[in-house]
Amino acid sequence: MKRGAWHWRLMVLSAIMWTLTLGTTSPGLAGEAITIDYWHINSESFGGNAVKEIIKRFEAANPGIKVAEKYQPAGYTGLIQQAQVAMAGKRPPAVVQMSYNLLAYASEALPHYPIENFKQKDAAFFATFPANILSLGQLKGVQHGMPYGLSTPVFFYNADLFKQSGLNPDQGPATWADVVTMSQAIKAKTGKYGTYLQNPNDDWMFQQMVLGNGGEMLSADGKRVAFDSPQAAEGLQVWADLTNKHKANPNLTRDEGENNFIAGQIAMYATTIAKLDHLKKNAKFTLRTAPLPRFGTKPQRVAGGGNALFILATNPDQQRAAWEFIKFLHRPESIATWVQGTGYMPPLMSAAEDPKTLKPFFQANPLMKASLDSVPAVTLWQSFPGTNGLEITKLVINATQEILAGQRTADMILKEVAAKANGLLPK
Amino acid sequence: MVLSLDHGRPMDTNAEVRVGPTPTPPQRRQKVGRGARPSPLPYLYLLPAALGLGLFVYWPLVDTVGLSLYEWNLVSPVKQFVGLANYRALLSDQGFWISVVNTLLAIVAMCVTTIAAPLAVAVAALRVRGAMRFVYRGIIFSPTVISMAIAALIWLWMYNPMQGLIAKALRLLGGQGFAWLTHPQLAIWAIIIVTAWKTFGYNFVIFVAGLLAIPQELVEAARIDGANEWHTFRHVTWPLLAPTTLFVVLTTLMLSPQYLFIPTQILTQGGPNRASNNLGYIIWEQGFEVFRVGHASAIAVVIFVAFLVFSVMHFRLLERGVHYGA
Repeated sequence: MKRGAWHWRLMVLSAIMWTLTLGTTSPGLAGEAITIDYWHINSESFGGNAVKEIIKRFEAANPGIKVAEKYQPAGYTGLIQQAQVAMAGKRPPAVVQMSYNLLAYASEALPHYPIENFKQKDAAFFATFPANILSLGQLKGVQHGMPYGLSTPVFFYNADLFKQSGLNPDQGPATWADVVTMSQAIKAKTGKYGTYLQNPNDDWMFQQMVLGNGGEMLSADGKRVAFDSPQAAEGLQVWADLTNKHKANPNLTRDEGENNFIAGQIAMYATTIAKLDHLKKNAKFTLRTAPLPRFGTKPQRVAGGGNALFILATNPDQQRAAWEFIKFLHRPESIATWVQGTGYMPPLMSAAEDPKTLKPFFQANPLMKASLDSVPAVTLWQSFPGTNGLEITKLVINATQEILAGQRTADMILKEVAAKANGLLPK
Repeated sequence: MVLSLDHGRPMDTNAEVRVGPTPTPPQRRQKVGRGARPSPLPYLYLLPAALGLGLFVYWPLVDTVGLSLYEWNLVSPVKQFVGLANYRALLSDQGFWISVVNTLLAIVAMCVTTIAAPLAVAVAALRVRGAMRFVYRGIIFSPTVISMAIAALIWLWMYNPMQGLIAKALRLLGGQGFAWLTHPQLAIWAIIIVTAWKTFGYNFVIFVAGLLAIPQELVEAARIDGANEWHTFRHVTWPLLAPTTLFVVLTTLMLSPQYLFIPTQILTQGGPNRASNNLGYIIWEQGFEVFRVGHASAIAVVIFVAFLVFSVMHFRLLERGVHYGA
């Protein structure tokens, strides 16, 4: 009898647990608040508190919607992996931050609810964004994600080493030719390396060199890659020559390069503006910034980093709630909190001019100016279409490493890799 | 009077002397419980373990074989059946073959550094007397207790060609630092060194335990008979240590490719230009970085089959020379 009683108690307990579990996850029951999950990569030191603050304001303004924010510690790649696991388990998060270099993959291979669906209804909202910013969330003209986090590459430099080398500490390099001459002066006077261009496991810097020199990553029809052009080869050869011919750019991993810049062993460091806070806290020298150098007189073009917001929710109520949340994140006052918390650039330039919030913030942080000035020059960080798109990105990363090894010229390597990549693109 | 060796009882001298256990007379199957069936109880006890194994080990294994026949990313509505195309693609996949070669290289290197070397150090460590022997053992074992990720991070700093400990030491000696992690030939060695450093202590402790279990009377007997150090080791210690050696060899061979994953992830991500890629890492890269799950599954299945054959062969081969029950 006793055993039977325990059996029943356990059954009742399990039933209660199940009800609780289902109750907290079933979206949009009549009269109840809708809960949407928001997955982001904003750690406490990278705008995590700003995210919480904006959510608090959103929930106060929208009593029918609750936002459950979840920090993903393994960056954008970790976030998309976790999102795929959740989707395979039929419980996708409603809104996620999708890195721009995963745009084509996410648009084509991840089931999502495209932002395009709201374009007609909310035309006035979209009209406030410049076309180059909106394009960061588009594939083949369709708005799949809403551009949100925005970073640009900048040249950080050690003004103390500049002074010691007889260079003007208020003037960063304007062109890549300047980088070479400045590096030579630095090497001669201080014995330190001139520069380091970030080289982590992505193709961001590769694209800066191609786009900056007037090349393209993909043909207009998306049927073949375009980085086998003379402009692309010339742009990347600049990086290879800095490394092997001029011995100005040590061939290091990103962590090594960054640590040596912080330690005062390298004078200039090309990386994302999002690193500003980290470098400011750790560098024991006068830190300055300049926009990414240009190729001669060619106009500046930079691939934007950061994320677009994607709606992965499958339930219509959640999709609507997710959209309300995304719009709220793009209000000027939310953008101000976001920019101050993360160091990202505002996707709305008008927000940067707001005399109550961001204008005084940018005035108080002059190192961000180099990045803010680059925002009009931002273009898409190209990802590749088709199911093999990310494999093509991997080929480009491998090509970068081979180019820097200096055994063969950029031109030869790019032609070979382009042929392989073209075979992986959808026909 | 002759004693039977199995019972020790006096017996008839005319009777045959038997060695070994007495054959048991054929027994009638006992009835258990009310019916004639054997009790289901033992199976019930096995059930939790069997369920866990089935669900978390064997089912994923079967599922991986299934996935290897598709081109799919786990979530896309488009799941294309491609038959054996993923396996055929492996034959011409240069990245896969680089990984195979690197993994074999790592296994050979690990066999030398984490089997032969720990054995030699264990023999030496047992000769140390007094309190210092615990200090030595502690120091040698200490890298084992650090997590692999932390170990890789420590080595990331050591490998730094400008600030790192190795570069500084080389400069003191008049040389210069190497860019270990971006050098096409050095990168895989950078990973092997971390992995070997981390696993050395574990194998060392197993060998120490194995050596301590060898009866000292046998060693002393050999010495009294005039055997020198080498002969004692070769003819007494080594054969009696065989079960321990078998265990260490098998675990090192089976686990080395898996151990490589974390240092690869932290130090090189398989670069530069795939030069340090290996089988443990390439599965993750294909499955979760570029989301070619079918391709990744095909690699996993090939590795599974290769290691299955490999381990059966090794087990049979090594067991011939193993003397259990020292």
